[in-house]
Parts: sequence; structure tokens; C-alpha cells
Amino acid sequence: MGLLDLFRSEPVPRAKRRERALFDDEFQRKLEMLALVSRRVFAGRLRAERRSKKKGSGIEFADHRDYVAGDDFRSVDWNVYQRFGKLLVRLYEEEEDLSIYLIVDCSSSMAFGEHKKFDQARRLCAALAYVGLANLDRVTVVGVSSKVISRMPTTRGKGRIFKVFEFLSELEPGGVTDLGTALQTFVAQHKRRGLAVLFSDLYDPAGFEAGINVLRFAKFEPYVVELVDPAEARPSLKGDVRIYDCETGEERELTVTDGMLDKMERAVNDYRASIQRFCAQKQVPYFPADVNTPFDELVLRVFRRGGFLR
Amino acid sequence: MTLSGLPLTQLLMIAGGAASVTVLLYILKLRRRAVPVPFARIWDAVFRDQKATELFSKLRRLLSLLFQLALLALLIFALADPKPKQSLLEGRHLVILVDGSASMKAVDVKPSRIDSAKAEVKKLVRGLGSADRALIVQMGALSSPLSTMSSDVTELDPAIDSLSASDTRADLERGLSFAIDSLRGLPKAEVVVVSDGVLGDVAEIARHVDLGKAQLRFLPIGKSGTNVAISEFSVRRYPLDKSRSEVMLEVANTNDRPAQVELTLLGDGTIIDVSRFALGPNERLPRYYQDLAGASRTLEAKVRFADGHADDLPADDHAYALMPERHRARVLVISKGNTYLEAALLLDEYLDVTTVLPGKPLPSEHFDVAILDGVADVLPDTVAAALYLNPPEGGVPVKLGARLSDFGFDTWEKKSPVLRFLALADVQVESGRALTPAAGDRVLGASDQGPILLSGARSGHPFLALGFDPRSSDLVLRVAWPLFVLNAINGFVEEDTGYVSSFRTGDVWRIPAPSSVDSATVIDPRGVQHVVPVKEGRAVYLGEEAGFYKLRAGSGSDAVNSEFAANLSDLAESRITPLKELALAGQKAAAVSIGAPSSKRELWVYLLLAVLGLSVLEWISYHRRVTV
Repeated sequence: MGLLDLFRSEPVPRAKRRERALFDDEFQRKLEMLALVSRRVFAGRLRAERRSKKKGSGIEFADHRDYVAGDDFRSVDWNVYQRFGKLLVRLYEEEEDLSIYLIVDCSSSMAFGEHKKFDQARRLCAALAYVGLANLDRVTVVGVSSKVISRMPTTRGKGRIFKVFEFLSELEPGGVTDLGTALQTFVAQHKRRGLAVLFSDLYDPAGFEAGINVLRFAKFEPYVVELVDPAEARPSLKGDVRIYDCETGEERELTVTDGMLDKMERAVNDYRASIQRFCAQKQVPYFPADVNTPFDELVLRVFRRGGFLR
Repeated sequence: MTLSGLPLTQLLMIAGGAASVTVLLYILKLRRRAVPVPFARIWDAVFRDQKATELFSKLRRLLSLLFQLALLALLIFALADPKPKQSLLEGRHLVILVDGSASMKAVDVKPSRIDSAKAEVKKLVRGLGSADRALIVQMGALSSPLSTMSSDVTELDPAIDSLSASDTRADLERGLSFAIDSLRGLPKAEVVVVSDGVLGDVAEIARHVDLGKAQLRFLPIGKSGTNVAISEFSVRRYPLDKSRSEVMLEVANTNDRPAQVELTLLGDGTIIDVSRFALGPNERLPRYYQDLAGASRTLEAKVRFADGHADDLPADDHAYALMPERHRARVLVISKGNTYLEAALLLDEYLDVTTVLPGKPLPSEHFDVAILDGVADVLPDTVAAALYLNPPEGGVPVKLGARLSDFGFDTWEKKSPVLRFLALADVQVESGRALTPAAGDRVLGASDQGPILLSGARSGHPFLALGFDPRSSDLVLRVAWPLFVLNAINGFVEEDTGYVSSFRTGDVWRIPAPSSVDSATVIDPRGVQHVVPVKEGRAVYLGEEAGFYKLRAGSGSDAVNSEFAANLSDLAESRITPLKELALAGQKAAAVSIGAPSSKRELWVYLLLAVLGLSVLEWISYHRRVTV
């Protein structure tokens, strides 16, 4: 930018400045570094090397199913027919390029505490999108609250990362969390199954399980990234207060004491433990993302943890 | 139990206001802050525990309000200052007589004796018991109460602050009488005299004052007394040459050791004489300044030690006097021509003489004196007085008696202002008429054949009548003749008569003023105006300050503006050596014991402040979430 351009440029609103800072040059350099790291760690793997659960025309046997009219006769397992007298068709795991769905919770609770959770979620989303795009995967970004509020069309190739930035920058937090309903809409809109990474604080009045279950039942591979703000576990409150939910407006009147804050901390930890337990039971990868940890460190942890890059 | 504090209505007002504030603070306390949280459902577990203690919490708050209101009630009760009736009755009643005389202006204790007295009285008042009451009285020429009989320091303090010393002597007798009257019927009565002991003849006072059951206490003020004073100061004009004057003053050394002093005389504000001389121990030295020139109106005298250092009482080092003002007397002479009379009138340059032939119309202006030389013209009211020389029969205010020949003054009033200093014993008169005095007339001179000089007044106009023609005697050839004429004129215009060059402070002054007015304005040396009554042509005023005063009376053409001076001129007051004891009727006054400052009466104030402070702290800490 030249000197004249500086004078010509319009004053930038505060919110806009914050969005620009979110994906600044430093951020992009870190993304490049993460992409390199991901390539070095997973060197030698080819495109579309990921194994999808989709049954199709690959070479590795996966399963049988009953023959139905119209099936290719070449896929009938004649050995089985000879032995049991049943017409079964061989199914093979189809190897194809993976679809990655990055689902960002845009409810009001994500903006609680100076947008820390929302910003961290968007940074992580952008980082994983960049890695996905760099690996030639099909990346789709979706913003949800009680419904699908915004969707970026599926894209591929590293050069499309700026579209992702633009999309994420334009996301605005607001509304009530209802992941169950929102993700039902999401699965209905996306027939192609794939990895569905959910960035959320999981403060869902209907229960955090609902949204994850929708993804599970629709054969998506859910990956839960829980945004955690430690300050929420022990708020700086004292005395008589009337608390209200920033999303639903539900009110409670109570007198906050130190003992009560201890209980509150325990309740928050219990809630998070229940999420972790649920994900472990359902074999859903779960990753807690502290808002105070740098995003690149978190992304590296995601890589090490596995599940995102196979 | 008696409530001796604030009145009930005032207490109720305070209680209402304070209770309103307390309840308002309580309501503000109950108002909860609205705080957003990201997920209220997590708080539910906490909220369940909170519900269990909610009742207790509410009760605690209600108890808190009740506690605060109870605290407030107690404080209001404290404001009412409850006291046992017995303690009220047992309190002392003090009349504190503070000497406000000139000697209290002495500076032997810094900054002055009166300020030292104020400090001592303040200590005394602060050391009073809770049931004690005191009345502050300034004791000067008059005794002036400055407060009510009160135990309230906030009332007594301003009264003490308003104490001041004047240029008068303290009238202890009057002060004690006032104190006894004030204490009549009150238990535990005490009279506290706060003074340097310069209180005049105490033994004489003791004969007139009966203290009764009241106890006399004495609080001495002052520590030493080195003083020289101008104890007298007056000035007069010479009778025959009023342009000249003479001054008499007296300088006194009130110390037991000799002193070298310097005396400065100022005329109209300018130094006209400085002299240095020695004064023996306790010596009073009169000094005369004859034929003093250089002053036409004001005279001041200042004395100090010759080495330049000041004495302990500056108030008596400065004296003031005013020279009698000269009036130009208007004289109407009705005569066919009288060389001797005209010559006598020429002697006084302040005479404005108009000569009219007998039978001619008289001028209509005002004349102070008319001299009727062998005639008896009817005088108008514009002529104030008349001198008849050899009056004819009829038309004169006196009856003529027998014809006289070869006679003289066998008897005369030697102290009469008209005839004083006149040698009339061998005056020879060829012929004349005896005068018959009417009731109220006064015979000033008489021969053995009858009265020949009368004075009197007719219709408010004074007159003087001489029963012979001066030219038919050898009187006109004598010095007595012009003196007689001028004395007569001076007597009529009242010049020099009773003139006071300076008044004495502490006395009731009677200042000449027009008799047509009821009141006049006296402006004191500080410029403060006092409206004073005028009775019988005299303005009546009790002055307490030395210096030059002004008198303003009447308005328009009758307005009179005059000046006069006042001096301390009290040698007793100038003897400022303080006394350590005071004995009245042989009984020594008890010493005053100043107790420790009483904090009992102020306790409610501190309590109120403490409770208010605690309430504010509690309120702030609550809202800052420190104590919850």
C-alpha cells in the first residue's frame, strides 16, 4: 500500500479490524508451517489415499449384501452361491478423496467473554481447512446455531483458502444453540459423507449429545473440538446477583459465595467430563481447545492425537 | 430520667430522615446486579443448594435491617441526651465575670491579658461537668451577659470569643450584683472572677455586695506590670486671647523604679513638642504648656520610655483633647456713640459688632448679644441676650429704684463669670439708679444704697443690667471695664463655660447637642455609629473607648456636627501590676480548678459519627463484594 493509499483508505471499523487481525500475515505463515509439518509427517501418501467407509468399487473386500436386480454380475460372489445357494454381492471399500465438513457453532455463548471462543474456533477451523485444502481434500465450512445459518460451498485446492478466510470473517455469533436441529439440516443438505469437525462449546440446552448423534447416525465421522474458556468455570462474581443465560435469557437469583464458586467450578468440570465420557463411549474423537492456548499449538496437538489426518 | 438534649420535634425529624436513608440503603442492597452467563443450566446444581439456604438468607437480611433501625433508635435516644434527674439538680451554676477593663489590654502575657483570659475561660468551660452550667459576662463599666446560662460549649465558645477589653475601668460591684441576681435561687452557685485584680477599692465594694451562698472564685490573669501613663490631659483657650491656649497634662510612673520617659505633643496631627524627663518611682508629674501655638483643633499626647521600648499597657500612653471651637459672636450695639464701649469691643477680634442708633429699625438677623447703651428699644426674638447700660425708665426688664449718687461697688459676686478677676472695690460712680430685682433675678453687684448690677432672664432671653452710665464713673478708665464687657458677652454665648476638652471613658457623657432633637448619632473612633438619646440639649452616651468622637444631630439648617475627645485618664487602671489573690470582706476568693476536658457530653456525637462511618463502610464493602 502506497502512502497515497493510506490517505485514501476509509476508516476501518473496530469489528472489521478484529476480523483482519484474526487471519493476518502471521496467521497465514503459521498455516503454511502447519501444512509443511502435516506433509512431512504423512509423506509418501497419495491423494485420495484416505480410506472412506463408503462401500464401492475398491479392491479391498469389505462385506457382502444381497443381490438386487441391476447389480453387476461380476461382483456376485459365486463361491458363496455354490456353498449356500444365495446370491450375494461382494462389497469393497471404496478409496476416494475425503470430504471434510468444518462446522462452526455460531451461537451467542460462543461470543461470551470477548469472542475468545468464537475467534479461537474460527482460527482452528481455518487452520484445519488449510491443511485439508493442501491435501486436496474437499472442504466445506458451515456455520450453525439453532439452524444452518451460513454455508461455504465445497471447495478444493490450497488457493481457495482465502475464500475460507472470507467466509469465516463474515460469520456473526448470535442465536440459541440447538445443534440437533441444525445438524439434521446439515446432514440433509450433504449427501456425501465425510469427516465432520464440530467446533463448539457444546452449551446446548437440548443436550450436547443430540448434535453429535445426528452426525453419527447419518454416517458422518464426527470430530468434536470443544472450545474451553477457563474463566467461565470460575467467574469473578460476588454477592447477590441475578444471572441470566446469554442465549435463552433464563434467570436465576442467587448469592454468590466462594463456596458456591467452588461448586460452580466442579459443575463445569463435571459437564466437560460428561462430554469426554460420551465421546469416548461412542468412539468419537474429542479434542478440548483452550482459548488461551495458541491455535498452532492446538493444531499440532490435533495432528498428534490423530483422527483428522490418517 | 430527663431528656436534656434536642427537643422532641427535632428528634422526630432527625429520626424520620435517618430511618428513610437506612431503608433506602437497605432497598438498594436488595437490588441484585444482572450478570450474563454463557450457560445458565450449569448453575442449576449450584442453585439447588442456594434454594435450601434462601429462607435463612432472607431472614438474615431482615435481621440486618432491624439491627440497623435499632441502632438508629439508640442513636436518636443518645441525641436526646438522657440524664438522671438527680445529676441535673446537682450541677454547678457559674457566672464567669471576665474583666474587660483597660488594664486587660496589657501585653505582659502574650498576646494580651484579655486573650489569655479567653483561653483560660475556654479551658474552664471545657472542664465543666455534664450537669454544670455557665454564664459568660463581660465586666467593664457595665456588665454585659454574652450568653445564656448554658452547658452547651457551642453556645459558650462564641460568647468567649466575643469578649474584649475596653478603655474603661471594671465595675466589680456592678458585676457582682449582676452575678448574684443571675444566681438567685439556683443551687451550687459560684461566681468566678477572671481578672488581673485591677478592680478598684475592693474593700469598699465588699461593703455594698452580699454574695450570700454563692461561692467566689478568682482566676488571676497577668504576670507583671511595667507602665507609664498619661493620667490627665486637658486644654483651654485664654479668656482674653482665644487664639492662644494652654495645656495641662499629668504623666505618671506606676512602677517601683524610676523611669526616663519621652513625651510627645501633637497638634492637628503634627508634632509640636517633644520632651524627655525622669520620673521617680510611682511619681505623678504635672506639666503645663503655656501659650501653646501650632494647634487649632486637635491635641494628642504620647508617652513612652526614653529608650524606645514600649510598656505593658499601650492604652494609656496616648491621650486626646480637642480645643474649644471659636465662635464669632454677633453683637448689636444700640448707642448714640460710646467710645469706651467701642474700644472694649475692639479687644476681641472674634466679635462681629453692628452699631445702630437708638430709634432706628433693628436688623432682622440673629444676634447673640445686644448692648443697649442708655436706651430701652424693644428687642426682637432674633436677639438672644441683652446687656443694659444705664437703662432708662420703662421698656427694660427691670424696675429702676432710687436715684443714687457718689456710690460704688460695695459688694459683688467675685465668683461670677462676669465679675471674676475684676477689681471693683474703688470704682467711683457719680450718679445712677438702683435696680429692683424680680423673682429669679440675681444681684451681682450692689452699693450700700441698693443693687446696681443684676442678671436674670425674661422669656428665655438672659439679660444683664448695670444701673449707671459707665462714662459717669471711673470704671471706663480701668482694666476692669473691657473685662466686664467681654465677660458679659462670653457669659451670654456660653463660650468656655463648662467646656470639656476630653471626656473620661467609662463615665456617662453629656455632650452638648441641639435641644430641638430627641436623638443624635455618635461616631466612635473606630467609625461605628451609635444612636443616642438627647435630653435637655445634651446627648447621653457611655463611651468605652479613648480617641476622637463625632456627634451628628439634627438635619438641614439645624444640623450640628461637632467633635469631642475621650481619654482613659484613670490612674487606678494604669496601675496594672496583677494581683494573685482577690479578697472580699476579708474572705479570700477560692482558686479555680480547671478540670480535664469533659468528653461525656460529646459522646453522642462521636457515637453517631462512628455508627454512620461503620454503616457506610459496611454498605460500600457489601457492594464491592468484600464482605459477602
